[in-house]
Amino acid sequence: MKTRLLHIVLAMYLCVIGCTPETRVVDTRNDPGKAVIVLDYRDFAETASEMVQSMIGSGALNKPGGGRYVMTTGKIQNDTMQRIDTDQLMAKIEEDLLNSGRVVMTAAVGGKGAPDQMVYDTRDIRDSDIGTEFDPNTLPGKGRLLMPELSTSGKIIQKVLTYSKKEQQVEYYFQLRVTNLANGLVLWQKEDLIVKRGSKKTVAW
Amino acid sequence: MKCITHILLVLGALVLVGCKEQGDPRIHVRKDIRSDNVVDNYVTRPVAEAFSALAGWGIDIKRAVVITNEAGYRELHVDGFNRSASVRPFRYRVEWLDANGFVIDSQATTWLRASAMSRSPFSIKAVAPTTNAVDFRMDTMKWE
Repeated sequence: MKTRLLHIVLAMYLCVIGCTPETRVVDTRNDPGKAVIVLDYRDFAETASEMVQSMIGSGALNKPGGGRYVMTTGKIQNDTMQRIDTDQLMAKIEEDLLNSGRVVMTAAVGGKGAPDQMVYDTRDIRDSDIGTEFDPNTLPGKGRLLMPELSTSGKIIQKVLTYSKKEQQVEYYFQLRVTNLANGLVLWQKEDLIVKRGSKKTVAW
Repeated sequence: MKCITHILLVLGALVLVGCKEQGDPRIHVRKDIRSDNVVDNYVTRPVAEAFSALAGWGIDIKRAVVITNEAGYRELHVDGFNRSASVRPFRYRVEWLDANGFVIDSQATTWLRASAMSRSPFSIKAVAPTTNAVDFRMDTMKWE
């Protein structure tokens, strides 16, 4: 009886092990994986690519008289039902904008606060008693920070529709604009759309 | 066997005749709007579509031109034609190369979606991520 029970337990264990899909690293450069109803890394990569190509190609980032614009990322609103860190999109865009040779990004001012808090931490040290412990030549001087001239801002919108009895349609709108902070004029703007259809049983958040 | 070959040849000829564009090639008047031809006709259409699938017709690239746009970046324009009887969604990726022929690393180099209607022209545009780009290479894959 004991042996029989042992065999059953062993059989069940082997079945569970055999049914568990093995963990594998995804080839993100050439991923033939199926689409998912929520936003995945491929959607962010595609959107970033299209946004950057449009932004650069428009000539809006060409500074009259030459040189590079100082740019920051303003507020990117996540108006979807998903918990999205908008940096997933903006980090890609910022990287390519930096490499484009047309802009420099500032880490002193941003829509979520300073992207690099160390800019202010070092100044706090400078202004405190501990500041005397540092070589004064290595402390940041006053009036050295540059205000951004351009800002990128935008919104990600999600809309869920009933497509049929069994299917739903989920629409994702990526809206982005570049604003000249000196005069408030919008130099460039684009909306990118990703639409997915899938089972109603799949949760879109 | 000989009979089947003859039927296929006749159907092929009919389909080719049906594909002949008329009028201004820049204006594409689709089926159900324009006058019926052999390909669009309600009776012969399934045969034409079957032949299209049998012949393995798909996307043809007609032209690829690289220009320098007003912003100073290289810009690729690809013109193609979908010869098949069905819509062909596909993915493409453009990699830009510098003067040494090395790939320029960029977040913009990713698989992007494209689609071509049946028996219709399509265009793709890509902008280089830096002004160092000189040449390009483009790859395509099936859109699952």
